[in-house]
Amino acid sequence: MTAPQNPITRAIWDGTLPIKFSLDSTEAAELGAKTLVEPYFLEAPRCSYFPLLTSQIRKYFVDMSLNFIGDDAEIWYDVDGIPLKWHYPIGLLYDLHTGYRPDSNSPPPLPWPVTVHFKNFPIDKLIRAQAIDATQDFFMSMIKEADFLRNGSTKKVMNLSKNDQTQLWDGLWSSFSQKYRTENYDRFWSINYRLVTNDGQLPKHVPLRIYLPDNCPVIQEPIAPSDENGNQLTLGDVLHQILPELFPSPLPTENAFAAPVIHGVIPQLNIPILWASQNLCYPDNFLHIVVLLDS
Amino acid sequence: VIVRFRAIGNAPILKQNLYKINASNKFQAVIQFLRRELNYKASDPLFLYINSAFSPAPDELVANLVKCFNTDGHLIINYCTSAAWG
Repeated sequence: MTAPQNPITRAIWDGTLPIKFSLDSTEAAELGAKTLVEPYFLEAPRCSYFPLLTSQIRKYFVDMSLNFIGDDAEIWYDVDGIPLKWHYPIGLLYDLHTGYRPDSNSPPPLPWPVTVHFKNFPIDKLIRAQAIDATQDFFMSMIKEADFLRNGSTKKVMNLSKNDQTQLWDGLWSSFSQKYRTENYDRFWSINYRLVTNDGQLPKHVPLRIYLPDNCPVIQEPIAPSDENGNQLTLGDVLHQILPELFPSPLPTENAFAAPVIHGVIPQLNIPILWASQNLCYPDNFLHIVVLLDS
Repeated sequence: VIVRFRAIGNAPILKQNLYKINASNKFQAVIQFLRRELNYKASDPLFLYINSAFSPAPDELVANLVKCFNTDGHLIINYCTSAAWG
Protein backbone atom coordinates (compact mmCIF):
# COMPACT_ATOMS: atom_id res chain seq x y z
CA MET A 1 0.00 0.00 0.00
CA THR A 2 1.50 3.33 -0.95
CA ALA A 3 1.33 6.38 1.24
CA PRO A 4 -0.52 9.44 -0.04
CA GLN A 5 2.02 11.55 -1.90
CA ASN A 6 3.03 14.45 0.26
CA PRO A 7 6.19 16.29 -0.81
CA ILE A 8 6.63 17.84 2.62
CA THR A 9 6.55 14.65 4.65
CA ARG A 10 8.77 13.07 2.01
CA ALA A 11 11.30 15.88 2.23
CA ILE A 12 11.36 15.55 6.01
CA TRP A 13 11.76 11.78 5.73
CA ASP A 14 14.68 12.22 3.32
CA GLY A 15 16.43 14.90 5.39
CA THR A 16 19.96 13.94 6.44
CA LEU A 17 22.88 15.40 8.33
CA PRO A 18 26.56 14.69 7.69
CA ILE A 19 28.10 13.69 11.01
CA LYS A 20 31.78 13.28 11.84
CA PHE A 21 32.23 10.68 14.58
CA SER A 22 35.51 10.95 16.46
CA LEU A 23 36.72 8.57 19.09
CA ASP A 24 37.27 9.98 22.57
CA SER A 25 41.06 10.30 22.66
CA THR A 26 41.65 8.94 26.17
CA GLU A 27 39.50 5.92 25.41
CA ALA A 28 41.30 5.40 22.13
CA ALA A 29 44.54 4.90 24.02
CA GLU A 30 42.90 2.73 26.72
CA LEU A 31 41.19 0.52 24.20
CA GLY A 32 44.35 -0.22 22.32
CA ALA A 33 43.90 1.76 19.14
CA LYS A 34 47.36 1.59 17.64
CA THR A 35 47.51 4.78 15.67
CA LEU A 36 45.57 8.01 15.56
CA VAL A 37 42.11 6.86 14.60
CA GLU A 38 40.56 8.67 11.67
CA PRO A 39 37.04 9.92 12.33
CA TYR A 40 34.09 8.19 10.72
CA PHE A 41 31.81 10.17 8.45
CA LEU A 42 28.19 9.19 8.10
CA GLU A 43 25.16 10.81 6.50
CA ALA A 44 22.46 10.23 9.10
CA PRO A 45 18.72 10.67 8.59
CA ARG A 46 17.40 13.51 10.72
CA CYS A 47 14.43 11.32 11.64
CA SER A 48 16.50 8.42 12.90
CA TYR A 49 18.11 7.71 16.27
CA PHE A 50 21.74 7.33 17.31
CA PRO A 51 21.38 3.74 18.58
CA LEU A 52 20.34 2.75 15.06
CA LEU A 53 23.72 3.94 13.79
CA THR A 54 25.74 2.30 16.53
CA SER A 55 26.47 -1.07 14.97
CA GLN A 56 27.88 0.61 11.85
CA ILE A 57 30.00 3.00 13.91
CA ARG A 58 31.19 0.25 16.18
CA LYS A 59 32.24 -1.89 13.22
CA TYR A 60 34.28 0.96 11.78
CA PHE A 61 36.23 1.62 14.96
CA VAL A 62 36.76 -2.03 15.74
CA ASP A 63 38.06 -2.51 12.22
CA MET A 64 40.45 0.34 13.03
CA SER A 65 41.82 -1.98 15.75
CA LEU A 66 39.78 -0.77 18.70
CA ASN A 67 39.57 -3.48 21.39
CA PHE A 68 35.91 -3.34 22.23
CA ILE A 69 33.91 -6.46 22.98
CA GLY A 70 31.14 -4.98 25.09
CA ASP A 71 27.49 -4.37 24.40
CA ASP A 72 26.24 -1.81 21.87
CA ALA A 73 24.25 -0.33 24.76
CA GLU A 74 27.49 0.82 26.42
CA ILE A 75 28.28 3.09 23.49
CA TRP A 76 27.24 6.69 23.86
CA TYR A 77 27.73 10.05 22.16
CA ASP A 78 28.48 13.57 23.22
CA VAL A 79 28.76 17.04 21.70
CA ASP A 80 30.92 19.60 23.51
CA GLY A 81 30.93 17.41 26.58
CA ILE A 82 27.16 17.10 26.73
CA PRO A 83 25.88 13.52 26.41
CA LEU A 84 23.31 13.15 23.64
CA LYS A 85 19.94 11.71 24.65
CA TRP A 86 19.70 8.65 22.47
CA HIS A 87 15.92 8.51 22.61
CA TYR A 88 15.65 11.92 20.89
CA PRO A 89 15.63 12.05 17.06
CA ILE A 90 18.98 13.01 15.53
CA GLY A 91 17.58 16.11 13.79
CA LEU A 92 16.14 17.43 17.06
CA LEU A 93 19.49 16.90 18.82
CA TYR A 94 21.31 18.77 16.06
CA ASP A 95 18.93 21.75 16.06
CA LEU A 96 19.02 21.91 19.85
CA HIS A 97 22.75 21.40 20.47
CA THR A 98 24.08 23.57 17.67
CA GLY A 99 21.49 26.28 18.23
CA TYR A 100 21.99 27.13 14.58
CA ARG A 101 19.57 29.72 13.18
CA PRO A 102 18.95 29.11 9.48
CA ASP A 103 18.22 32.83 9.11
CA SER A 104 21.74 33.76 10.18
CA ASN A 105 24.47 34.80 7.76
CA SER A 106 26.86 32.02 8.70
CA PRO A 107 26.78 28.55 7.18
CA PRO A 108 25.49 25.66 9.32
CA PRO A 109 28.08 23.78 11.39
CA LEU A 110 28.44 20.69 9.18
CA PRO A 111 29.65 18.01 9.35
CA TRP A 112 28.41 17.82 12.91
CA PRO A 113 31.33 16.81 15.15
CA VAL A 114 30.19 14.12 17.59
CA THR A 115 32.42 12.21 20.00
CA VAL A 116 31.86 8.47 20.37
CA HIS A 117 32.45 6.77 23.72
CA PHE A 118 32.86 3.08 24.42
CA LYS A 119 33.24 3.37 28.19
CA ASN A 120 31.99 5.23 31.22
CA PHE A 121 28.33 5.40 30.27
CA PRO A 122 26.97 8.42 32.20
CA ILE A 123 24.06 6.78 34.02
CA ASP A 124 23.33 9.99 35.85
CA LYS A 125 22.76 11.88 32.60
CA LEU A 126 21.48 9.32 30.11
CA ILE A 127 18.86 6.61 30.25
CA ARG A 128 20.50 3.22 30.41
CA ALA A 129 18.94 0.93 27.83
CA GLN A 130 18.16 -2.42 29.37
CA ALA A 131 17.21 -4.26 26.24
CA ILE A 132 18.43 -4.23 22.64
CA ASP A 133 15.07 -3.03 21.39
CA ALA A 134 14.86 -0.14 23.86
CA THR A 135 14.85 2.39 21.04
CA GLN A 136 11.84 0.69 19.48
CA ASP A 137 10.02 0.64 22.84
CA PHE A 138 10.66 4.33 23.42
CA PHE A 139 9.56 5.13 19.87
CA MET A 140 6.30 3.20 20.20
CA SER A 141 5.67 4.83 23.60
CA MET A 142 5.90 8.25 21.94
CA ILE A 143 3.43 7.19 19.26
CA LYS A 144 1.02 6.04 21.97
CA GLU A 145 1.51 9.22 23.94
CA ALA A 146 0.69 11.19 20.78
CA ASP A 147 -2.42 9.07 20.21
CA PHE A 148 -3.52 9.69 23.78
CA LEU A 149 -3.09 13.43 23.36
CA ARG A 150 -5.18 13.37 20.21
CA ASN A 151 -7.95 11.09 21.42
CA GLY A 152 -7.85 10.66 25.17
CA SER A 153 -6.93 7.00 24.70
CA THR A 154 -4.47 4.81 22.80
CA LYS A 155 -7.23 2.75 21.20
CA LYS A 156 -6.24 3.76 17.70
CA VAL A 157 -2.64 2.62 18.02
CA MET A 158 -3.53 -0.50 19.98
CA ASN A 159 -6.12 -1.44 17.35
CA LEU A 160 -3.46 -1.46 14.65
CA SER A 161 -2.62 -5.01 13.73
CA LYS A 162 0.67 -6.37 15.07
CA ASN A 163 1.88 -6.33 11.48
CA ASP A 164 1.01 -2.65 11.07
CA GLN A 165 2.75 -1.74 14.31
CA THR A 166 5.87 -3.57 13.16
CA GLN A 167 5.67 -1.84 9.77
CA LEU A 168 5.98 1.53 11.51
CA TRP A 169 9.21 0.59 13.21
CA ASP A 170 10.63 -1.39 10.31
CA GLY A 171 9.96 1.47 7.92
CA LEU A 172 11.86 3.82 10.20
CA TRP A 173 14.90 1.85 11.27
CA SER A 174 15.71 0.60 7.81
CA SER A 175 15.12 4.08 6.44
CA PHE A 176 18.68 4.98 5.81
CA SER A 177 19.28 2.27 3.30
CA GLN A 178 19.37 4.51 0.23
CA LYS A 179 18.22 1.74 -2.03
CA TYR A 180 14.93 1.26 -0.21
CA ARG A 181 14.18 4.82 0.76
CA THR A 182 10.91 5.02 -1.10
CA GLU A 183 9.72 1.58 -0.05
CA ASN A 184 10.42 2.42 3.58
CA TYR A 185 8.70 5.79 3.32
CA ASP A 186 5.62 4.04 1.94
CA ARG A 187 5.81 1.34 4.58
CA PHE A 188 5.91 3.87 7.34
CA TRP A 189 3.53 6.50 6.03
CA SER A 190 0.83 4.13 4.78
CA ILE A 191 0.13 3.42 8.44
CA ASN A 192 1.28 6.66 10.03
CA TYR A 193 -1.06 8.60 7.78
CA ARG A 194 -4.07 7.24 9.65
CA LEU A 195 -2.49 8.19 12.95
CA VAL A 196 -1.45 11.76 12.17
CA THR A 197 -4.65 12.65 10.31
CA ASN A 198 -6.58 10.88 13.07
CA ASP A 199 -8.82 9.25 10.45
CA GLY A 200 -10.24 12.66 9.63
CA GLN A 201 -11.41 13.48 13.16
CA LEU A 202 -10.34 16.69 14.82
CA PRO A 203 -7.92 15.76 17.59
CA LYS A 204 -8.52 16.90 21.16
CA HIS A 205 -4.92 18.03 21.48
CA VAL A 206 -1.92 18.33 19.21
CA PRO A 207 1.18 16.34 20.23
CA LEU A 208 3.99 18.85 20.56
CA ARG A 209 7.03 19.61 22.67
CA ILE A 210 9.08 22.76 22.95
CA TYR A 211 12.79 22.76 23.67
CA LEU A 212 14.81 25.73 24.82
CA PRO A 213 18.61 25.81 24.90
CA ASP A 214 20.87 25.56 27.94
CA ASN A 215 19.21 22.56 29.51
CA CYS A 216 15.87 24.28 30.04
CA PRO A 217 13.07 21.91 31.02
CA VAL A 218 11.11 20.54 28.08
CA ILE A 219 7.65 22.08 27.69
CA GLN A 220 4.64 19.94 26.90
CA GLU A 221 1.13 21.26 27.32
CA PRO A 222 -2.27 20.15 26.06
CA ILE A 223 -2.86 22.33 23.00
CA ALA A 224 -6.22 22.17 21.23
CA PRO A 225 -6.11 22.75 17.47
CA SER A 226 -8.92 25.34 17.56
CA ASP A 227 -10.25 27.88 20.02
CA GLU A 228 -13.74 27.99 21.54
CA ASN A 229 -15.09 29.70 18.45
CA GLY A 230 -13.77 27.01 16.13
CA ASN A 231 -10.95 29.17 14.75
CA GLN A 232 -7.82 27.23 13.93
CA LEU A 233 -4.89 28.10 16.15
CA THR A 234 -1.66 28.97 14.39
CA LEU A 235 1.89 28.14 15.39
CA GLY A 236 2.21 31.79 16.42
CA ASP A 237 -0.86 31.50 18.65
CA VAL A 238 0.59 28.45 20.37
CA LEU A 239 4.04 30.00 20.91
CA HIS A 240 2.47 33.20 22.20
CA GLN A 241 0.32 31.18 24.60
CA ILE A 242 3.16 29.04 25.94
CA LEU A 243 6.05 31.53 25.83
CA PRO A 244 4.52 35.02 25.92
CA GLU A 245 7.79 36.67 27.02
CA LEU A 246 9.57 35.37 23.92
CA PHE A 247 6.58 35.71 21.59
CA PRO A 248 4.67 38.81 22.68
CA SER A 249 2.40 38.46 19.69
CA PRO A 250 1.11 35.50 17.68
CA LEU A 251 2.05 37.41 14.53
CA PRO A 252 5.59 37.85 13.24
CA THR A 253 6.69 41.25 14.48
CA GLU A 254 9.91 43.02 15.20
CA ASN A 255 9.26 42.46 18.90
CA ALA A 256 9.81 38.72 18.89
CA PHE A 257 12.88 37.63 20.77
CA ALA A 258 13.10 34.12 19.39
CA ALA A 259 12.26 31.90 16.46
CA PRO A 260 10.97 28.32 16.26
CA VAL A 261 13.12 25.78 14.43
CA ILE A 262 11.87 22.43 13.24
CA HIS A 263 13.87 20.08 11.00
CA GLY A 264 16.41 22.85 10.58
CA VAL A 265 13.97 25.40 9.16
CA ILE A 266 12.08 28.33 10.65
CA PRO A 267 8.40 27.80 9.84
CA GLN A 268 6.07 30.74 9.35
CA LEU A 269 4.09 31.66 12.42
CA ASN A 270 0.78 31.78 10.55
CA ILE A 271 0.64 28.07 9.73
CA PRO A 272 -2.24 26.30 11.47
CA ILE A 273 -0.94 24.13 14.27
CA LEU A 274 -3.09 21.23 13.09
CA TRP A 275 -1.51 21.37 9.64
CA ALA A 276 1.93 21.56 11.25
CA SER A 277 1.14 18.53 13.37
CA GLN A 278 0.11 16.49 10.34
CA ASN A 279 2.87 17.59 7.97
CA LEU A 280 5.88 18.63 10.03
CA CYS A 281 5.86 16.05 12.79
CA TYR A 282 8.68 13.60 13.37
CA PRO A 283 8.05 9.88 12.79
CA ASP A 284 7.23 9.59 16.50
CA ASN A 285 4.17 11.77 15.72
CA PHE A 286 5.37 14.70 17.81
CA LEU A 287 6.12 18.23 16.67
CA HIS A 288 9.47 18.76 18.36
CA ILE A 289 10.04 22.50 18.17
CA VAL A 290 13.32 24.08 19.21
CA VAL A 291 13.00 27.73 20.19
CA LEU A 292 16.18 29.69 19.57
CA LEU A 293 16.72 33.17 20.89
CA ASP A 294 17.65 36.07 18.68
CA SER A 295 21.29 36.91 19.16
CA VAL B 1 0.96 17.13 42.46
CA ILE B 2 -0.89 13.98 43.42
CA VAL B 3 -0.23 10.58 41.92
CA ARG B 4 -2.43 7.56 42.39
CA PHE B 5 -0.81 4.17 41.99
CA ARG B 6 -2.87 1.24 40.76
CA ALA B 7 -1.54 -2.31 40.77
CA ILE B 8 -2.18 -4.44 37.69
CA GLY B 9 -2.22 -8.23 37.57
CA ASN B 10 0.03 -9.86 40.16
CA ALA B 11 1.78 -6.68 41.21
CA PRO B 12 1.82 -6.11 44.96
CA ILE B 13 -0.71 -3.61 46.25
CA LEU B 14 0.57 -0.66 48.27
CA LYS B 15 -0.81 0.07 51.73
CA GLN B 16 -1.27 3.62 50.58
CA ASN B 17 -1.71 4.49 46.94
CA LEU B 18 -2.04 8.28 46.95
CA TYR B 19 1.13 10.34 47.16
CA LYS B 20 2.19 13.93 46.75
CA ILE B 21 5.11 14.37 44.40
CA ASN B 22 7.05 17.45 43.42
CA ALA B 23 6.02 18.44 39.89
CA SER B 24 9.56 19.40 38.94
CA ASN B 25 10.67 15.79 39.30
CA LYS B 26 11.37 13.61 36.32
CA PHE B 27 9.31 10.45 35.92
CA GLN B 28 12.46 8.56 36.91
CA ALA B 29 11.91 9.81 40.47
CA VAL B 30 8.44 8.27 40.49
CA ILE B 31 9.87 4.96 39.25
CA GLN B 32 12.55 4.98 41.98
CA PHE B 33 9.98 5.92 44.60
CA LEU B 34 7.68 3.03 43.69
CA ARG B 35 10.58 0.58 43.63
CA ARG B 36 11.56 1.69 47.14
CA GLU B 37 8.00 1.42 48.42
CA LEU B 38 7.72 -2.10 47.00
CA ASN B 39 11.22 -2.99 48.25
CA TYR B 40 12.23 -3.98 44.76
CA LYS B 41 15.83 -4.54 43.71
CA ALA B 42 17.10 -2.84 40.58
CA SER B 43 16.86 -6.17 38.77
CA ASP B 44 13.21 -6.82 39.67
CA PRO B 45 11.02 -6.09 36.65
CA LEU B 46 8.53 -3.28 37.12
CA PHE B 47 6.60 -1.46 34.41
CA LEU B 48 4.78 1.83 34.90
CA TYR B 49 2.06 3.26 32.68
CA ILE B 50 0.02 6.43 32.62
CA ASN B 51 -3.75 5.83 32.40
CA SER B 52 -3.20 2.19 31.43
CA ALA B 53 -2.03 3.50 28.08
CA PHE B 54 1.66 4.28 27.64
CA SER B 55 5.01 4.37 29.39
CA PRO B 56 6.61 7.80 29.48
CA ALA B 57 10.39 8.08 29.11
CA PRO B 58 12.06 8.37 32.54
CA ASP B 59 13.24 11.91 31.79
CA GLU B 60 9.76 13.27 31.10
CA LEU B 61 8.73 15.87 33.66
CA VAL B 62 5.96 15.01 36.08
CA ALA B 63 4.64 18.56 35.60
CA ASN B 64 4.17 17.95 31.87
CA LEU B 65 2.55 14.56 32.45
CA VAL B 66 0.07 16.04 34.91
CA LYS B 67 -0.75 18.95 32.58
CA CYS B 68 -1.44 16.62 29.69
CA PHE B 69 -2.78 13.42 31.21
CA ASN B 70 -4.37 14.15 34.56
CA THR B 71 -7.69 12.70 35.64
CA ASP B 72 -9.45 15.17 37.95
CA GLY B 73 -6.15 16.86 38.68
CA HIS B 74 -4.16 13.80 39.63
CA LEU B 75 -1.98 11.40 37.66
CA ILE B 76 -2.99 7.74 37.51
CA ILE B 77 -0.01 5.42 37.34
CA ASN B 78 -0.56 1.73 36.73
CA TYR B 79 2.21 -0.68 37.55
CA CYS B 80 2.87 -4.34 36.89
CA THR B 81 5.64 -6.87 36.91
CA SER B 82 5.47 -7.66 33.22
CA ALA B 83 4.87 -5.49 30.16
CA ALA B 84 1.11 -4.96 29.94
CA TRP B 85 0.42 -2.63 27.07
CA GLY B 86 3.50 -3.22 24.96
